[in-house]
Amino acid sequence: MKIAVCIKQVVTREWQLRVNDQKTWIRDQDASFELNEPDAYALEEALRLKEKHGGEVVVCCAGPARATQVIREALARGADRAIHVESDALAAADANAVADALAGAIRDESVDLVLTGLQSDDQGFGQVGVVLAEKLGMPHATIIMEVQKLDGAAGLRVKRELEGGWFQWVALPAPALLTIQSGINQLRYATLKGIMAAKKKEIRKVAPAVAPAAQRITAMYFPEKGKKTQMLSGTPADAAKQLVARLREEARAL
Amino acid sequence: MILVVAEHRDGKLNRASLETIAAAQQAGSGAAPVKVAVLGTSVDAVARELAAAGVAEVVTIDDAALQDYTADGFVLALEALIGAEAPERVFLPHTYQTRDFAPALAARVNRPLVTDCVAVKAGGYVRPMFQGKLQADIAVDGPHMATFQIGAYRADAVTPGASPAPVRRAEIRVDPARIRQKPEPPFKEAKQAVDLSQAERIVSVGRGIKSQEHLQLAQQLAQAMGAEIAASRPICDAGWLPMDRQIGSSGQTVAPKLYVALGISGAIQHLVGMKGARTIVAINKDPEAPIFEIADYGIVGDLFEIVPAMIAELGK
Amino acid sequence: MERETLEVDVLIVGGGPAGMSAALRLAQLQKEKGGEPLAIAVLEKAREAGAHTLSGALLDPSTLADLVPGYKDKGAPLGAPVQHDDVYLLTRTAKVRLPITPPFFRNHGNYVISLSRFVKWLAGLVEAEGIDIFTGFAATEVLFDDSGGETRVAGVRTGDRGVDRHGQRKSTFEPGVDIRAKVTIFCDGVRGNLTKSLVRQLGLDEGRSPQLYAIGIKELWELPAGRIQAGRVMHTMGYPLKNEEFGGGFIYSLPDNLLSLGIVTGLDYRDPMFDPHVAFQHLKRHPLVASLLEGATLVRYGAKALPEGGWYTIPKLYAAGALIAGDAAGFMNSERLKGIHLAMRSGMLAAETCFDAVRRGDTSERVLKAYDDMVQASAIRKELYRVRNVHQAFGYGSFVGALFTGLSLFTGGWWFRDPLPTHGGWTRIRKLADYYKDARPDPESTVNPVRIDRQLTFDRLTGVHYSGTRHPEDQPSHLIVHDASVCATRCREEYGNPCIRFCPANVYEMVDDGAGRKKLQINASNCVHCKTCDIMDPYQIIDWVPPEGGGGPHYEGM
Repeated sequence: MKIAVCIKQVVTREWQLRVNDQKTWIRDQDASFELNEPDAYALEEALRLKEKHGGEVVVCCAGPARATQVIREALARGADRAIHVESDALAAADANAVADALAGAIRDESVDLVLTGLQSDDQGFGQVGVVLAEKLGMPHATIIMEVQKLDGAAGLRVKRELEGGWFQWVALPAPALLTIQSGINQLRYATLKGIMAAKKKEIRKVAPAVAPAAQRITAMYFPEKGKKTQMLSGTPADAAKQLVARLREEARAL
Repeated sequence: MILVVAEHRDGKLNRASLETIAAAQQAGSGAAPVKVAVLGTSVDAVARELAAAGVAEVVTIDDAALQDYTADGFVLALEALIGAEAPERVFLPHTYQTRDFAPALAARVNRPLVTDCVAVKAGGYVRPMFQGKLQADIAVDGPHMATFQIGAYRADAVTPGASPAPVRRAEIRVDPARIRQKPEPPFKEAKQAVDLSQAERIVSVGRGIKSQEHLQLAQQLAQAMGAEIAASRPICDAGWLPMDRQIGSSGQTVAPKLYVALGISGAIQHLVGMKGARTIVAINKDPEAPIFEIADYGIVGDLFEIVPAMIAELGK
Repeated sequence: MERETLEVDVLIVGGGPAGMSAALRLAQLQKEKGGEPLAIAVLEKAREAGAHTLSGALLDPSTLADLVPGYKDKGAPLGAPVQHDDVYLLTRTAKVRLPITPPFFRNHGNYVISLSRFVKWLAGLVEAEGIDIFTGFAATEVLFDDSGGETRVAGVRTGDRGVDRHGQRKSTFEPGVDIRAKVTIFCDGVRGNLTKSLVRQLGLDEGRSPQLYAIGIKELWELPAGRIQAGRVMHTMGYPLKNEEFGGGFIYSLPDNLLSLGIVTGLDYRDPMFDPHVAFQHLKRHPLVASLLEGATLVRYGAKALPEGGWYTIPKLYAAGALIAGDAAGFMNSERLKGIHLAMRSGMLAAETCFDAVRRGDTSERVLKAYDDMVQASAIRKELYRVRNVHQAFGYGSFVGALFTGLSLFTGGWWFRDPLPTHGGWTRIRKLADYYKDARPDPESTVNPVRIDRQLTFDRLTGVHYSGTRHPEDQPSHLIVHDASVCATRCREEYGNPCIRFCPANVYEMVDDGAGRKKLQINASNCVHCKTCDIMDPYQIIDWVPPEGGGGPHYEGM
């Protein structure tokens, strides 16, 4: 199976979020970065499928130069080679631009399967995977818990997660794109040998044609706490009564 | 014109569809008409329910190929409808289903899509970023699509129509041969790991719950509220609840409609995991507990007396 | 499952200033001397270079100039040159500025830097030379080889990964790697776990004075623009520390409106109820500091121990197949409060010794002794010998210490008793009954408490959050308490569980055991790797071992 995995570099979870001066993004100069966690699960799933069915795992990343950090990490974990669609503009671009860039890189690779994470921990639009499928002309399925390869050219059978504890198996022909649910597997470590081998693996750089953005972040800010804290007093019974009433009528939370 | 795509399962309308209609009505503010689309088979009952809203029209796409939801089927059907109706904006609720097809539809009809919006603002939308820790104003060019976070708008804020809106069946056929997904019937399974990030309401316990036996009380409250149970780290460390119920920097980050913190002091490690909740209730014995700084409603008192009283109130 | 092995010529354990300097120097020697390239590896337990590195810091650039000529052009992140040096004597509400700054506190020519950024920059230079820095790998064991007659250090073993909290292997289990080297340079920092066991196993501290330590707690704040110019250096003495407590405060201003401030307190205090974290909060509330922090935002928090013992506490620096450099050896000038340039120098000298030895094909003790000879002849000895008894003098009280320090400016450190006798700092802690007599405080209480307002003062747990500390939760505790039964009984009675006070990260807590008594609870994932517990516990039953590699604080900008 030839599998392409799309990964993104995001700021680390511990990075203190402060808005930049233009108020259009966070301050990430000199920040620490890491592999987007949902993508790590997609990578792990790809590596497991390769171990089971043979083939090749190609990691694709759209982002600035510093994204080589996560590309190397993916190679160290076992991906065979990588494609880096390098552009500063792709650091915080909209889904259409990113999917365009990735499609350009993957299109000529004749892959059997494309895997992505559900969404990025920074913007969280949750669109790139599905938009990419459309641009590649592939069928897709999202929030996938399990992947089965069917015999011959029959394609795949995948387990989708639905709301409220429901699931569904879906069959679809290959090549296909799947967005992988987080937490479905245990992430392997990069071994020392893996890290050393990663240095010799190919990272093909591709310059994208970046489409003009059709949507923009015009302001980014911390959510204002609209109301002040309302402290409810009285006997426990009174306070409880007030609380439930307000939750029902004022906050409409029940 | 704003086209709202409704969602239903087994003939039952998903209330989020009404929320989306409310969003469309507010966004249109009288100037732009709102139409509602329903896809599937035997959708008349759902269509009639939607027609009660103050909308210009309810359009059904009734086709055997749409009996079971598939991404391809829905994209084909809506592509045709959007082509025929040319709405300026297409609104959908942000659900598991729309996450599956809306981006593909947007790419198919070459429109930008803004997902998980919590509000409409002049010229754009407001949506969370960084797992709810920040918010962003998004400006969009030209005809576009948007999905709305569950609970961002209120279903009962829908302006009803003076009289039921007309229901029309669109002349749209979906070619089953073009549907690549072959779904099997959905089934229910006890989930291994809880995805608290999808819960609308959460009751969370901290050290103030004192012992494992008392968890029952929190669980009763959760049940009464239709909420999931969660906890701060010490509770999970002690093994009183499994690790996948932990909220905080070393657990899950959530932004539900309602978060009730029982006996949680509000250490920053916990706060970063739930600050984005729309309504936060804190019940704690300690008036200085940091949790009160971010709560919308707070009660300083004994949770062992307050929670049973709440459960009683909820029963009324 | 098979254990991976790796063979190199030189293994450097620890990617701090000493380790990076050693690696860089080796690369330079390679270029200078040519010949068969050496296989070199650096092991660093943090997820990335500099993540576990923290210091005030004031850099004496003398070693940097030797290591990286033209360092400014190579982008060395030097923060700001020191513009102004002040020393203050504080009381609870007032301050007195010393009219003359003592020579060891003068920093003209030095730079206020972020050591973490500096190490990150060094790492970039090292990697550019093609040397592997393996981050996320924690060395847990020294490997020995007895085969050649003489016991030699053969390398290190890294910790297993993928073990759950009960010690069971998870599906992702990877056994630790054995890295075998002709020479291993131990640069594992203050109270480094490998150096500690190496010294013990080979008796490298024979005839040496016991090492003395201090704990440094630091915060990085962002000030309103223009409040203070970069390069201002302030040191404080007196409040909030008692005369018997060694230490003081530091306030350094960096570019971009950043302020580095903290407190250093000796880990040889007598009062069992002393709490360095509380002392730090008191320092922040002093008008001198509070006025600077008005309207400012806390950016980061961290803590680390410092080796204060000086010249006589440095162990034997070499053994067959091994050298010790940096803070792990104790190369810090406790009078000037500077150790970075000395750590770097020792790393360079270790590199030079290694290079010769490996090329010669002889890494025996006899040959590696050249490192010690070089240290003896170097600027390191010149600087450290003069202040060899300074910290020990403070053991007699700050007044005596200050007097001695002043005197030693003229005497070159000479004293009637040389070395000044000392014992490990942990031996000086007094029992509650001794120190408090009839006014015995509750161990859970705070003597001299401070109000936590979460604007200026914060609790430990909030500090841990701001340290960026992250550990995978499902792993065994890395704080080994050899006899936890002592905690709720003997220790509580004698010392009131000082661990709950000296740990700056709320790792240790005494909780109700459900049967009316207390028990020790270890919140291992809060650990900021400062080593204070390993140093200070009165029964010396705590062993700090590295947790799974990659975990720990993230000292960005510190």
